[in-house]
Amino acid sequence: MKNAIQLNPKDMINAVLLFFVIHTTQVGVGIQGFQRIVYQDAKHDAWISVLLAGLATHIIAFIMIKTLEMYSSDDLYGIHQDVFGKWIGNFLNCIYLIYCIAAFFTILKNYIEVIQTWVFQNVNTWLLTATLLLLIIYAVTGGLRVIVGLSFFSFIFSLWLFPMLIYPLEFTGNSSLFPILESNMAGILKGAQSMTFTIIGFELLNVVYPFVKEKKKVKKHVHLGLLMTTITYLCFMLVSLTYFSEGQLNKTIWATLSLFNIIKFPFIERFEYLAICFWMLLILPNLCLYLWAAYRGVIRMVNISLNKVVWIIAFLTFLSSQVIQTRTEINKFNDYFAHVAFYIVFVYPIFLYAMAVLKKKFSSKKEHV
Amino acid sequence: MKKFRFFLIMLFLLVILIGCAEQKLLERVGLVTLLGYDLGSENLLSTTAVIRQVNPEFQSNIEIINAENETSKGTRTKINRKVSKKVVPGQLRVTLFGQELAEKGIGQNVDALSRDSVISGSLFMAVVEGQAEELLTYKYENIEDIGQHIFKMLEQNIESEQIISTTLHEVAHDYHSIGEDIAMPIIKREEELILISGVALLNQGKMVGKLPPDDSFYLKLVRDRFEAGTFEASLKSEDIDSSLMKDPPKELSVVLDTIKSKKNLKLVKQSTPEFDLHISMKARLLELNEEIDLGDPKNIAKLEKGISKFISKEISRIIAECQEMGSDVFGFGEKYRSSVRNSELTNEKWHELYKEAKVNVNIDFTILRTGTLD
Repeated sequence: MKNAIQLNPKDMINAVLLFFVIHTTQVGVGIQGFQRIVYQDAKHDAWISVLLAGLATHIIAFIMIKTLEMYSSDDLYGIHQDVFGKWIGNFLNCIYLIYCIAAFFTILKNYIEVIQTWVFQNVNTWLLTATLLLLIIYAVTGGLRVIVGLSFFSFIFSLWLFPMLIYPLEFTGNSSLFPILESNMAGILKGAQSMTFTIIGFELLNVVYPFVKEKKKVKKHVHLGLLMTTITYLCFMLVSLTYFSEGQLNKTIWATLSLFNIIKFPFIERFEYLAICFWMLLILPNLCLYLWAAYRGVIRMVNISLNKVVWIIAFLTFLSSQVIQTRTEINKFNDYFAHVAFYIVFVYPIFLYAMAVLKKKFSSKKEHV
Repeated sequence: MKKFRFFLIMLFLLVILIGCAEQKLLERVGLVTLLGYDLGSENLLSTTAVIRQVNPEFQSNIEIINAENETSKGTRTKINRKVSKKVVPGQLRVTLFGQELAEKGIGQNVDALSRDSVISGSLFMAVVEGQAEELLTYKYENIEDIGQHIFKMLEQNIESEQIISTTLHEVAHDYHSIGEDIAMPIIKREEELILISGVALLNQGKMVGKLPPDDSFYLKLVRDRFEAGTFEASLKSEDIDSSLMKDPPKELSVVLDTIKSKKNLKLVKQSTPEFDLHISMKARLLELNEEIDLGDPKNIAKLEKGISKFISKEISRIIAECQEMGSDVFGFGEKYRSSVRNSELTNEKWHELYKEAKVNVNIDFTILRTGTLD
């Protein structure tokens, strides 16, 4: 407990805002094309996989909060140092830090890929990356409160995207959902695992937790945020399953964007262009929070200023974004990342909780002696 | 102050970014509004593009250019060599397929169109009787912009539910679906007019037959649903109760409009598939070619029964015709797939089963009102 973070109330956020933080970090680039990845495993029962994955997030979040509650006001990095000691703790911190940077990189890369495929075929990757990075640096150096504010506005301003699902509904038929549960359980579970890349983001609670003012209300708002995400994904999945036919969904990389392809307004003919550009607002809180989480990890180990960390990570991201260029490479990287993320986000918290409980029992025994 | 500097840099960069995007000024590009694909010489793809060039001072002019190449995008480069303004496909509204090409298969073209992110999913597709190039290059007296003309004609007819809707999305959907085949309107030139002359039936992207335009009503009835359709039925004397008219003529013609329909399809037998197709229709009676007292509820009931019988007979006939041609445009296969657990249906397997399938048609027809007269 020696690592507890001392914070000025001015730097802290209200528990209500956690709803927006959790929801906006989950919804990002994944939602643009998660349908195909899940469909390949679970076929037309993919929506059940979405529900299962949603359920898993609730369970994991529950365990995470349990772990965090054992330490009154500390984040994952501090817990690591307390449970595993300095060396192993810092090693684990490094892994988590790299994970955050990898997540940051993946989101950025995927979004730029979408822009290059749909809107600006001729614009160079480095220019788009640099522009986005500058925007992110500007927001992150403002501190957590600015990032959380960004989450809030990102949620409010993107609410109108939801009703747009009504337009493709005209072309749907429910017969493609039947027979329910035709795929075997293994396929459905595998589909739920494929949701990882889309549904992660809520693990950042590990880092944000000490900054929340009313710790008792954390549970409620986190679970509400997760529920909101699950409902959103479920709606998109159901509409996609009924809108596309089998072969089509297998081929469509960004099913959500292709859904919007059919929407036409008198004043804007190609709605998906607007949606893609607008998507930047959806991924900004994602990117900012991951970068900020990485920074929190760095200052645990090295004494360095926020500005320096942010610039260094941004520069590294910029360089590596030049390495991965083709669709195949991006897909490969996504797969690797999703695989690792599955263990870090869904398996590791259970282990950490067990370790923390053991450690507590062990040390309290020692005190008695 | 530091923040402000950041903001300035960003703003500056964003402004520069505008210059990086490829400019597409309206006056400097030619908008392709319609593409016609034909089977060219030596199995090449022949593309005819209707290009609209917007001119701020004069009326915009229409150019029709043809090129042949292996692929559709290949023909685009060739077309570009023949025009003064860069050709862009963002305003593409209609794609036509020559009959010969449709019979050979349109799958590759449908794929190429869906792959291109510039092309909208809501463009219309149709088959041309004969060559698409011929239809497009003919100098029509009264049609100025043929691209716009064909688009408006298809759009108007789809909206008034005269023909089935065939947007790129729907065609791609059926093309990649297991239990549903593509149906597309057929258009042709007749003297100075272009008209819809039927419905093309496809099997896995290959045209296998067609139905006359009057039958497209029944096709839509089974495949889709009606919100407000119009339809003329010519009832034969055997359909009608003989007491309805004093001296029964050979045919009784009835015009119905604001038709609302709802279909309910059920699979009742699996081994040799048997379906129960129940369609309930509600419509307004608009015109009769005989004098019948419609104030009498008995007469209305008799008429309803007659129309039901007539429609169900016609539907059975069309289903049998489509079965013979081997095209499941009604989506019976989709129903089969969704009702049979672990059927592992494939396209080939379904088309085998489809030939033997039996469909029991049951129509429930109601006359809602009879206009302002009884």
